[in-house]
Amino acid sequence: MTFITRLRRFPFWSWLWFMTGALYFILPLLATFEFSLSWDPQYPLKAYQRAFEDQRFWNSFMYSNMLALTTILISIILIVPTAYWIRLRLPQARRIVEFITLMPFVVPAIILVFGLIRIYSQPFTVPFTDIVILQPLTNFKMGTNILIVAGYMVLSMPYMYRSVDTGMRTVDVRTLTEAAQSLGANWFIIITRIILPNIRSALLSGALLTFAIVVGEVVLASFLGVSAFGPYLFLLGQHRAYEPAALSFVSFLLTWLVMGLIQLVTGSQEQAAGAH
Amino acid sequence: MTHLALKNISKHFGDFTAVRDFDLEVKKGEFVSFLGPSGCGKTTTLRIIAGFEIPSSGVITINDMDITNKAPNQRNVGMVFQSYALFPNMTVSQNIGFGLRVRKEKESEVKDRVAEMLSIIHMEEKANSYPYQLSGGQMQRVALARALAIRPEVLLLDEPLSALDAKIRVALRAEIRSIQQKLGITAIYVTHDQEEALSLSDRIVVMNKGEMEQVGTPFEIYNFPTTVFSANFVGTLNNASAEVVDPANGLISIGGVQFESAVDLKERKKGDKVRVAIRPERLGFASEQKKANVVDCTIENITFLGSIVRIQVTIGKAKFYMDTFNNPFLELPKIGDKDQVTCSKEAVLVLDE
Repeated sequence: MTFITRLRRFPFWSWLWFMTGALYFILPLLATFEFSLSWDPQYPLKAYQRAFEDQRFWNSFMYSNMLALTTILISIILIVPTAYWIRLRLPQARRIVEFITLMPFVVPAIILVFGLIRIYSQPFTVPFTDIVILQPLTNFKMGTNILIVAGYMVLSMPYMYRSVDTGMRTVDVRTLTEAAQSLGANWFIIITRIILPNIRSALLSGALLTFAIVVGEVVLASFLGVSAFGPYLFLLGQHRAYEPAALSFVSFLLTWLVMGLIQLVTGSQEQAAGAH
Repeated sequence: MTHLALKNISKHFGDFTAVRDFDLEVKKGEFVSFLGPSGCGKTTTLRIIAGFEIPSSGVITINDMDITNKAPNQRNVGMVFQSYALFPNMTVSQNIGFGLRVRKEKESEVKDRVAEMLSIIHMEEKANSYPYQLSGGQMQRVALARALAIRPEVLLLDEPLSALDAKIRVALRAEIRSIQQKLGITAIYVTHDQEEALSLSDRIVVMNKGEMEQVGTPFEIYNFPTTVFSANFVGTLNNASAEVVDPANGLISIGGVQFESAVDLKERKKGDKVRVAIRPERLGFASEQKKANVVDCTIENITFLGSIVRIQVTIGKAKFYMDTFNNPFLELPKIGDKDQVTCSKEAVLVLDE
């Protein structure tokens, strides 16, 4: 093979666009990383040390992680049976549900949070009386936690629903259900031992997206007045220079780590399914 | 003794009637096939037995116990699907043992039963393989073992061989029949493939547009079809409009050409319009065999089909196929030749128009 032939076969344009795209994403990240190391030339990791020494960072980070995990858990409990039932018994409802799940793209988070505050900052009373059965949810910590998790569930719904629905599309949910039923399985066994294990990769993808949304979210957390990681990073960015750059870079690394893990798990699963 | 009984089963989907007045009694250990074209209601009937559809009317009993409104997981009915429906996240052993574990049987018993089923389907070495590591034929054998492992009252098979290639299909259908006979299990088999139904079944239910056309043994269905649909659907069939000429002597006329039939025509009157059906293999050249009906014909076409040669002839105005076994010394006529064909009077079936 001559050099000219090799040159002609080299996918020059594909590589050019790929490299352009990669540089577009990587350069700002490299700049952030480089900046985070430039606080003290004698001790390049100073920004990282300072950021991790701050107890407010750990508190807000752990709190946001808890919110993310709770959101993921409740979303799975709600969305998996819903998507399953729509595939199994209510295919005609799929368009309506898909439309509803897309609403967070149309209605901004700021509208959502004002709506939540407006409705849930008033006490719950017995209809047509003034007898209070529950104080306003915004008035106590657990109430606020419930509101913010509910809000995050709405924000992450498009990603979670679509991931789960796509996962169910790849397995023949209806026939697997009928096969399990004919073998004596009840609904609980079918969902936990047949459906969930077979959409594991889709669940992980949905969970990762939800996690990323919740951990970085600012609007809902700020307006509901909770000490989450998003508002903390925002405040830090307004008052400090080097620590936010360090934390942003760490956040990226964490996200990539999780994505790599998911790729590892789903990769082996898809390899298994691919031979069908 | 009746094991499975379907009494007056009907199923409507809105204005559409999928199954109408379906009546069938199946004996213990019997292999019954539902045969018919797509949309004839055979799969719906099977799904009604499995409990995936509730009939609009009628009753289903197993061992005289009414199961019409029981949930599918409470019927103890095993089912094999066209698409195998093996659980992708489980190994072959786990798939076969799933139904037993759901029933909370002792782990030692589950293991014994799984080993027994693996031995029956000759797949002991694949016990720890996942479904994606198996061929289509192997997957369907595992699906069969999984359905049989729970010792079902009735085994339902919904076109289980349709997704397989021809050679495996023939081998596997023999295996299905052999396992069914060995275990003495009652089986209902849905297929649109007449060869499958004829080769496997103790009895065949021919279905059309949600109704039973004919129920009988493969021999009866093939040789003595009672309806035009049944006659046409099973095997190749010549059929033509005819008129009763002499009911007492079984004489009929196809466009002026007279045939004698062994069918009792006493209930019909002279001039009645009927349909005559003759299997291609029952016709032969008059020079080869002397039979009751000898009629003039013209050779229209000759098609070589391997073991048989199909000759199209015109008798009067009707076109008929005639099959003859192929052999190296066969002297075939030429297209356009005038000749004579014959068939026994038993070969001439008379059906309602």
